[in-house]
Amino acid sequence: MAHVTPTVSRSRATSASLRLSVLMFLADPQWLIPSMIAPVMFGLVAFELFRGAGHYYLTYAILGAGMMSMWGQTLYGSGWAIGQDREFGTLEPTIGAPTPYLYIVFGRVLWNVISGLIGGAIVYVVVLVAAGTPPPVANPLGFVVLFVFVMLTLASVGVVFTAAWVYTRYAGFIQNVGEFAFYVGTGCMFPIVILPFWTNPIGLFFPPTWALDALRYLSIPGYVGFSWGFWWDVLGAVATTLAYLAVAGTIFHRVERHVLASGDLSWY
Amino acid sequence: MTIPPAVEVHDLTRVFESRKGFLFGEHTRTEALKGVDLTVEQGSIFGLLGPNGAGKTTLVKILSTLLLPSGGRAAVLGHDVTTDAEWLRPRIGLVLGGERGLYNRINARDNLRYFADLYGIPGSEREERIRAVLQRVGLTESADRRVEEYSRGMKQKLHIARGILHRPQMLFLDEPTIGLDPKSARETRKLVRSLIADGVTIFLTTHYMFEAEELCPELAVMSKGRIVARDTIPKLRQLVGGDRTLEAEAYGFEDAEVDALRRLPGVSKLVSEEYGPRTRLTLRLQSLETTPGDVSATLPGHSELTVRERRTSLEDVYLDLVEEEAQ
Repeated sequence: MAHVTPTVSRSRATSASLRLSVLMFLADPQWLIPSMIAPVMFGLVAFELFRGAGHYYLTYAILGAGMMSMWGQTLYGSGWAIGQDREFGTLEPTIGAPTPYLYIVFGRVLWNVISGLIGGAIVYVVVLVAAGTPPPVANPLGFVVLFVFVMLTLASVGVVFTAAWVYTRYAGFIQNVGEFAFYVGTGCMFPIVILPFWTNPIGLFFPPTWALDALRYLSIPGYVGFSWGFWWDVLGAVATTLAYLAVAGTIFHRVERHVLASGDLSWY
Repeated sequence: MTIPPAVEVHDLTRVFESRKGFLFGEHTRTEALKGVDLTVEQGSIFGLLGPNGAGKTTLVKILSTLLLPSGGRAAVLGHDVTTDAEWLRPRIGLVLGGERGLYNRINARDNLRYFADLYGIPGSEREERIRAVLQRVGLTESADRRVEEYSRGMKQKLHIARGILHRPQMLFLDEPTIGLDPKSARETRKLVRSLIADGVTIFLTTHYMFEAEELCPELAVMSKGRIVARDTIPKLRQLVGGDRTLEAEAYGFEDAEVDALRRLPGVSKLVSEEYGPRTRLTLRLQSLETTPGDVSATLPGHSELTVRERRTSLEDVYLDLVEEEAQ
């Protein structure tokens, strides 16, 4: 057996992690509930809430319900994947591999973004069927570009939150408490401008808050969100996303060091 | 160019601190390693024996870069485990074994594909490499079955397959046959021997004496976080009093009889143990002068006396050393 030291490709590690996530998803039907059934419920509830509010509010409904579905999948699913690694005892051999763990997490988050998109698409189809007409979008091309960017903002938060699962086996507690607060606080279901003023600064710490407001400006004529308007929303989203990605880059190295020091990698 | 030792450990310590309870819980502090010194050369198999809780797994995890030491220094293949983990990880393999550590809901082949990619095995070689290791560990037939359907022995084989997939220079095996049936354990030992033949340096921990005796020309005994002895098996036998052991068993002995046995020629050590109503005296002998007949003659008047001679086993060595450390 010849000993040849391989060069580890980070993109290959990410794609391996993505592939593993798909296999694990397909092997475990419990995910059908958050990824397939919950979006149908979100779509129907949102449609009923906004059906009498005007034509463009259908788009509003789709955005709200779709984001709820995607937010849950991206954030909750990414953390949960690491929690599963703890439970299976696979976190230890994975951390012990030569690939920096951050790139493995990217793969997990990427899958959850894709699965979140599937949830978003389901909401779209549900509202489309319920309304009997395609929801109008004021600027379709801009909508698509911004929509992809919204997913990136969700993923950036997902990566940072995933670090908590590596850091401690109790991360599920924080995430369970936080999940619904994030729905409201980031304006997934409705714009946070209608919440009490003191809550707004909290929401602004999260990139999706900015990106979602921008998306509503772009797709719903006459929408009034944050008073600073569309371009400042975009700028805020870009800045906070970059900040999250920078935090992720440094936090993972520290988290890895912490778990190697604490010796609780195999605990669950 | 001089070849660095496979393992070089100096004054290594590791303390685990934990808190029971969420807010005001009790703080616990456990010293798992208390100043371990050890050097292992490359190119063979080295055994680390010790009872549960001796610190074997802690040492292996530190050496395989999965745990940071609290103090001291540890190097593998000449590289520090704390500062050169990036260099070391592609060159070492770790088999922790057990039921956990595998993706049970997917098949063995996909488990190996995942880790092949994380270890940077070239895409063009990946499938062939996986086929070869599956064949080597005897899992070819069941490679496409979900791991959750595997027996304990098959899971252990998959752990080993993953550990050798990237062709490491050094392999750490932490109790690789624990919980296996005799047939699976024998197959695992055969596999380990074949790896040695391939030039892989192996660091094996076990608490099975026969396994250590069968596989390891040299070993260390660990107890309560310390290395209490380290040598070849014949020399370890000498360390605990000799190659020959005589055992005398009866319903109790007088102190004077025990003293008389101690004075027999070549007796280096005498241990007395109670087994219900019976007492067993174990004598370690450094020479051939004293025979079972001499022992019987020294213990007259015991109608139920049994005396037998046997070779000092590694288990005797181990128990003596661990007992001495406990005292």
